[in-house]
Amino acid sequence: MDNVLHILVVGLLVGGIYGLVAIGLNLIFGVIRIVNFAHGELVMLGMYGAYLCYVTLGLDPYLSVLLVVPAMFVVGVVVHRLILQPLHAESSMQIFATFGLLILFQNVVLALTRGEGYSVPSKLAGLTIAVGDIRVTVSRLVIFAAVTLAAIALHLFLQRTLIGKSIRAVTQDRQAAQLMGINVERTFVITFGIGSALAGLAGVLLAPIYTLAPGIGGNFVLAAFAVVVLGGLGSVAGAYFGGLIVGLVEAFAGFYIDPELKQAIWFLIFLAVLVIRPTGLFGQVGAEEIGFREQG
Amino acid sequence: MQLNRILGIALAAPALAFSLVAAAQTLRIGAINPYSGPLALYGDEVARGYQVAVDEKNAKGGVLGRKVELIRGDAGNPQQGIAAVDQLVTRDKVDLFIGTYISAVSNAASDAAQRYGKIYWDTNALAADLTERALPNFIRVGPYAPTFAEMSVRTIAELIAPALGKETRDLSLWVEHEDSIYGKSIGDAQKKLLEARGVKALTQGAHNFRAADLTDVVLRTKRANPDVWVITGYVPDINLLLKTAREQGLKPPVILTVGTGDTQETLDALGAEFLEGVMVVSYPRPDISDQFGPGASAYLANYRKTYNRDPIAPQSLTAYTGMKILLETVEAAGSTEVDKVRAAAARLDKPFNSYPSGAGVKFDDKFQNARPGVTVIQWQGGKQITVFPEQARAAGVALKNTPRKQ
Repeated sequence: MDNVLHILVVGLLVGGIYGLVAIGLNLIFGVIRIVNFAHGELVMLGMYGAYLCYVTLGLDPYLSVLLVVPAMFVVGVVVHRLILQPLHAESSMQIFATFGLLILFQNVVLALTRGEGYSVPSKLAGLTIAVGDIRVTVSRLVIFAAVTLAAIALHLFLQRTLIGKSIRAVTQDRQAAQLMGINVERTFVITFGIGSALAGLAGVLLAPIYTLAPGIGGNFVLAAFAVVVLGGLGSVAGAYFGGLIVGLVEAFAGFYIDPELKQAIWFLIFLAVLVIRPTGLFGQVGAEEIGFREQG
Repeated sequence: MQLNRILGIALAAPALAFSLVAAAQTLRIGAINPYSGPLALYGDEVARGYQVAVDEKNAKGGVLGRKVELIRGDAGNPQQGIAAVDQLVTRDKVDLFIGTYISAVSNAASDAAQRYGKIYWDTNALAADLTERALPNFIRVGPYAPTFAEMSVRTIAELIAPALGKETRDLSLWVEHEDSIYGKSIGDAQKKLLEARGVKALTQGAHNFRAADLTDVVLRTKRANPDVWVITGYVPDINLLLKTAREQGLKPPVILTVGTGDTQETLDALGAEFLEGVMVVSYPRPDISDQFGPGASAYLANYRKTYNRDPIAPQSLTAYTGMKILLETVEAAGSTEVDKVRAAAARLDKPFNSYPSGAGVKFDDKFQNARPGVTVIQWQGGKQITVFPEQARAAGVALKNTPRKQ
C-alpha cells in the first residue's frame, strides 16, 4: 500500500514535468495550428538560460525565472514575427520551418558548448521532504506547483482578458474572428510568445534535475506531443490532466511492469485514445479538423 | 569555354603533381570521429590522443622515413562515416584509417575502407560485433564491451567483495544498464560472468537513457536492497540515476558504474560528497603508475605541452596508445597494405603493461586485441583515483568510503 501511494506521488510529479512542457505546446498547437517541432528546443534554451544566469550572475535557477521567462517570450515573438508569419499562407512550410528551428537551436547550442554536459546547481532543488517512506524533492514539487499555477493562470487569462478572448475566438474560427475585427496576426504573435515563455519556464525549472545537453528537449517533447493529443488540442485542462495521466501511467508501468516498457505502454494508451476519442479527453469535438478545413 | 578548360587544366596540373609528390612523402592517416555534433567533445579528445602520438613519432623521424600526417574525417553517424572515408581516399589520398569514438560509425566506415582496400585500425569503438564481422581490413587494438564487463566482474570479485567482507557468491547485486545494444551487451555479459562465479542474488534491469524520469528504476533497486549497484549507461542517465538515488535514499554499500561516470560532468551534477567512494570501470587515466602503463606520465606531459590543459576525458590515452601501436605495426610491416599490416599485427605479442594505457598486444583470430587496458577509478575527494587493478594503483592509495556510509 505504501508502495502504491509512493508511486502515485512519483507519477503525479513526473506528470507535472510533462504537463509543463505540454502546456505551451498545446497553446501553440491549438491556436496557431502549428505543430511546433522546436518546442523541445525552446525548453532546452530555457535550461541553458538558467545555466547562463547561474554562471554569469550566480543566480539560483528559481530566481532566473524572472529573467529567462520574459526573454523567452521575446524569443517567441521574434521567431514568429520573422520566420513563421511570413509563411502564414503555407501551413506545411511553417511546420518545416519549426523543424529547421529545431536543428538551428540545437546546433547553435552545440557549437557554443561543444556538447559538454552542464549542471545548474540549486541548494533548494536538492532538498528532500520525507513523509514516512515517501520522499519528494523540492525541485519536483516546484514543477508541480508551477504547472498547476500556470494552468489556472492561463485558463483565467483566456477566459477573462480581452487578449485571451481574442485567442479563443481565433482558436474557434480564424476567419470569423478576423471578420469581427480581431487582429489575427497579432494574436498569433502573442500566443507564440506565451507558448515560448511557458517552454522557457519549463526549461528553467527542469534545469536543476538534469544534465544539460543540446538534444535534451527531445526527451520531453515526444511525451508532450502524446499529452497534447491525449488531453485534447488547444485545451489547457487537457494539457494539465493529460500530463498527469501520462506521468501516472509511466510511473506505475515502470515500477510494476518494467522501466524499459513504460514508454511503449503509454504510447499504446495514446493510440487507443486516438482511435476511440480523436478529440482527446478535453478537446472540443471537431477542433482537430479546423486546421484541415482552413488549409483546404 | 575552351579557354577556360585549358586554363583549368594548366592551373590544376602542377597542383595535382605537387599533391602526388606530397602524398608520396608523407604517411597520411585518416582519423574518423565525430568532430561536430553532440559527441564532438569526445571525438576531438580521441583525435588529440592520436595527434600527440603522431607528433612524438615525427620528432623521431617519422615512420618508414616518411613524415606522418593526421587528417580528420568528421562523422557523427554511419552515412557520414562512409562519406568521410570516400573523401579521405579520393581527395586526401590517405594510406589507412584510424578511429572511432562511435561504434556505428566504425561499422560503416570500416566497411567503406574495405572497398578501397585500406586498413581500418580501431582504438576506441566498443561494440563486440565489430570484430565478429571478421572484416579483413579491420583490426581493433582497444578495449571492447566484453573487456568492460570482465573488468567490472573482476572488480566485484577481487576488490569489492573483500572490502565488504563477503564471498563473491554471497553478494547481492543489481545489474542496471541502458537498453540499447551498448548497455545490453555489457549487462548480459556481466550477468553471465557473475552467475559463473556463483552469484545467486542478481537482478538485471534496463532503462532508456533518454527517459525523463528514472525514479521507478531507483525504487525497484531500493526494494531489492543490493550490496552492489552496477550501472552501465551514458552520462545523462547515470547522472540522473545517481541524483534520484540520493533523493530517494537508495544507499547501496557500493556503487560501480561502467563506461562513464568518471568525468567532470558527473562531478558537477552530483558533487564530491555524494560521489565519494563511487567506483567507475573506464579507460585508463594518465595518473596510473608508470609501472602499470609505461610512458603514461610522458604522455600526460606531452599532452599538456601541446594543448595547454589536462585531458578532458581518459579516452585520449587509449587513443594515443592505439596510434602508437599502429605506427609500430606499420614500421614492422614496412608498408600500409592490408595483408602486410595484418601479418605484422598477428606477429605482435607483448604482455599487459607494455604500453602507456597498461595494455599489451596479442590479437585473436578476429583481430581483437586480447590485452587492452581498462582500469577502475574511485572518486575520492572530488578526484578520480585509479584503484584497480592493483598494479595500476599509485603508492599510498586505499579505498575510501567503502562500504558507503549509511
